[in-house]
Amino acid sequence: MNKRSPLFEKILICFSILLLLVQEVNAQTLTKKQQDSAFLLHPGQERLRKIKKSIAKTFVDFVGNDVSLYGALDFSKQNINDNAITAPINYLYNTVNNNTYNSGFSGGFRIDGIFKEKHRYALIFGLNRIIAGSNYKNIHTLSPFIDDFTHFKADNMFTTLSIAAHYKKLLPVNDMNKYKFYTVIGPSFDYKISKISDANLINGAGNRAFINLDLGAEFDNKGYYILYGHYKLGNYISSSIVPVQLNRFEIGMSIKTKDLF
Amino acid sequence: MKTFFTILLAVISLTLVSCNKETATTQTSVMNNLLTNKNWYLDYSITEGLTSTTPSVFKSYVGQSTYFITYLKTGVTQDSDGITGTYTVELINGQSQIYMQLKTSNGNPFEVIYNIISVGESNMVLSKVISGPATKLYFTTK
Repeated sequence: MNKRSPLFEKILICFSILLLLVQEVNAQTLTKKQQDSAFLLHPGQERLRKIKKSIAKTFVDFVGNDVSLYGALDFSKQNINDNAITAPINYLYNTVNNNTYNSGFSGGFRIDGIFKEKHRYALIFGLNRIIAGSNYKNIHTLSPFIDDFTHFKADNMFTTLSIAAHYKKLLPVNDMNKYKFYTVIGPSFDYKISKISDANLINGAGNRAFINLDLGAEFDNKGYYILYGHYKLGNYISSSIVPVQLNRFEIGMSIKTKDLF
Repeated sequence: MKTFFTILLAVISLTLVSCNKETATTQTSVMNNLLTNKNWYLDYSITEGLTSTTPSVFKSYVGQSTYFITYLKTGVTQDSDGITGTYTVELINGQSQIYMQLKTSNGNPFEVIYNIISVGESNMVLSKVISGPATKLYFTTK
């Protein structure tokens, strides 16, 4: 066996301690540039600090905020009333009508918290790729030459940015310390960011903004993740000569960012 | 916070204002897209009008499938009779029209204006604007 002398061991220990001390001192020593910077004013950082303080003061009742990332599958269908279109254009009904729910997807982040230690809420910010089935309510004919047709063709694929504010009610189901079930209700707002086709703009029919009523249920598995299902009933925020009712079912999952990163 | 709410208000206002983006050429652009680069076969020509002896309306149906006309994206039109020329789709006082400046095979120029009754991907109904009884032309792309 290789036996070291006690003196050698003592020297090694002392050297190690000295090395650690030197590293510690180095870590605490600021460079010249850092020392100068400490005395300088930083208006940007100061303003940011003030804004943070102001927001914290304003939203003092909003506590326990957890940020999560979410991904969801969307099933969408739009009901279209083209009765007021005057443009002499026809789209054969069978080629544009598709009275089914088509699937799209969405993703984003949400903040779950408690207001005044009593009311649970979720703020959701998302990007949605909507692929919707189209149900045209009016059928026109120019008998006997043109069979069933519509005067309007709505975009059935578009991208929106959305924001939602949901109120969450905890349901007294199962062991609430482990699994939590919620019902949720609240408004949401969608804004189309993709290009609107010319066909969708005929007679000023195009609109970019939707307001929705959201209803749903959520399952929180010990705070690890949330599984949810939301139904969204949406209408154009401003009046349009072609009212469109957008129905969506969203099934998704969210995971806390602190568990991810 | 005041600045934050001002910016938020500005963004919301901008959002609401920018809802509709229809321009004067939207409708003609859509109709042009439906019209161009296809052979439109004349299936029926229907003339309605009053007879000289009785006030009843008469209709003449002519089922045809040999005549066709093509509207090219370049603004040129040509038909199966050898008539060529240029065309534009216009919206005049709310009425959609095809305005054509043509030349016969002999080189004689003439103009034709059709009112668009309906145009789609595979069928089109035009009304010929001339004095006297109106003639409706029913086309399909086959």
